[in-house]
Amino acid sequence: MQKLDRQTLLGIRDQLGGYAWDDAEIDELVDPKLGIITGFQELLQQLEQLRKIDLGATPPAGDIGKP
Amino acid sequence: MSRQLAYASIGELRRRLQAGEVSATQLVEIYAERIARHGDCSKAFISLDLEAARRKAAAVPREPATGLALNGIPYACKDLFDVAGQVTTGGSQVLQDNVAECDADAVAALNRAGAICLGKNNLHEFAYGATGENTLYGTAPNPYDRSRLAGGSSSGSAAALGFGLCAAALGTDTGGSVRAPAALCGLVGFKPTFGRVSSAGVIPYSWTLDHVGTLTRNAADAALIFRALLPGARDVAPARLEGCVIGIPREFFFDRCDAEILDCLDALMDFLRAAGASLVPVEMPSMEHTRTVSLTVQMPEALSYHNRYLEQRGHLYSQDFRAGLALGQCLLAEQYIRAKRFIERYRREMDAVFAEVDTILTPATPVIAPPIGAVEVSVDGASEPAGNAITRYTSFFNMTGHPALTLPCGMHSAGLPIAAQLIGRHHADEQLLALAQRIETDYAFSLPLPDLD
Repeated sequence: MQKLDRQTLLGIRDQLGGYAWDDAEIDELVDPKLGIITGFQELLQQLEQLRKIDLGATPPAGDIGKP
Repeated sequence: MSRQLAYASIGELRRRLQAGEVSATQLVEIYAERIARHGDCSKAFISLDLEAARRKAAAVPREPATGLALNGIPYACKDLFDVAGQVTTGGSQVLQDNVAECDADAVAALNRAGAICLGKNNLHEFAYGATGENTLYGTAPNPYDRSRLAGGSSSGSAAALGFGLCAAALGTDTGGSVRAPAALCGLVGFKPTFGRVSSAGVIPYSWTLDHVGTLTRNAADAALIFRALLPGARDVAPARLEGCVIGIPREFFFDRCDAEILDCLDALMDFLRAAGASLVPVEMPSMEHTRTVSLTVQMPEALSYHNRYLEQRGHLYSQDFRAGLALGQCLLAEQYIRAKRFIERYRREMDAVFAEVDTILTPATPVIAPPIGAVEVSVDGASEPAGNAITRYTSFFNMTGHPALTLPCGMHSAGLPIAAQLIGRHHADEQLLALAQRIETDYAFSLPLPDLD
């Protein structure tokens, strides 16, 4: 998995549609400084680990069933 | 006397109201006077509607015999809840003109039970964060030490009770946003089973994780409010501890925790054993990926809701929330769906744990209230963001949807409250409240009131 590139996020912003985030938000995702988000790169690495775990036929969570 | 009443439980206030020792009008005036005195420093309220509260209180008979469970009890709600005719700001510049047409279901339920809403509480902007920091309305301080955080995101709700400005408060809990500030401020925070209390009329943060919850002075009050929110709920009497099987998840939930908090939990466990409960070790689902799963669900859902405001008002969001929303846009749909499937796995694994035990006991938080402005906190030599630490033991149960409650169980040498967390089976909200009531009735511990002078 390649390192996240600022240009990739700019491409998502400009080519996939959606809200036109400022460069400041894009920069925060690539190089986090605000302390709340751990950084998109780290999240993507963790998500890649999740992708390798077999969830079988487990469906997405819905409502909690009635008692 | 007024201070005593301001910090009285709902149970005590009900008794005094019914005995005619105090009127609803007197109660509203006591809180109004304290709000005038402590409102600015507590940063507890974003807006007040004391005239409406006075009108409603005046209609409560001096010796009420109406049978309404909360008749004349003043409360407040986090400013995510709609109150008809008032602005719901979400703690943000974005919604300064967002006048609600009708009450949120939870507000309507408390009003039907006779409770009197005093106003709307401060919060972390749109509930995005556990520190309760808010650049627009200020950061609610801890009533026990004003240099420290009340915690969040229901920061103003916790501060309102802690400073003696109302008898109870409604909050929302997406990762611990009711339970954690309650724990840091010496209160009881209760998050019922996911979906059991309606969130209609409440600004969402994450539909998958949001729970409406309550902050009260004790578990008996939490039970009273719960029954008012859910009239079909069963009566709650203190439970018996004899024969109760309580699971202790040593791994993760007791890791990297302040030593004095662990001491308080040990003392509580000694009490529970002596009272006849059986404490057994339990193996929880792996916590390795839980924060990733939670974040991957939260941010796309938050973006999906806030998308409607971004084009016209996007510049009014705080910078950190904008970055979070941008993250939500960059995640893949498959990653979101996978995270939702992990949540289902967590729910099933937890249901298996609850086949063996009645309740699970953990510390509420691994740290006491951090200093205001602290970006990171350190425990056992390891640093982590303050908001992550505050909710480290609570956020998992937002994914699984199990009812969870935090209650005070000790006082730290730094002069700040320490709390435990109880988690119950799905829909066993009443049993969880009953157990918490038994503990608070029998456990020889009482928290001193905060010294505001």
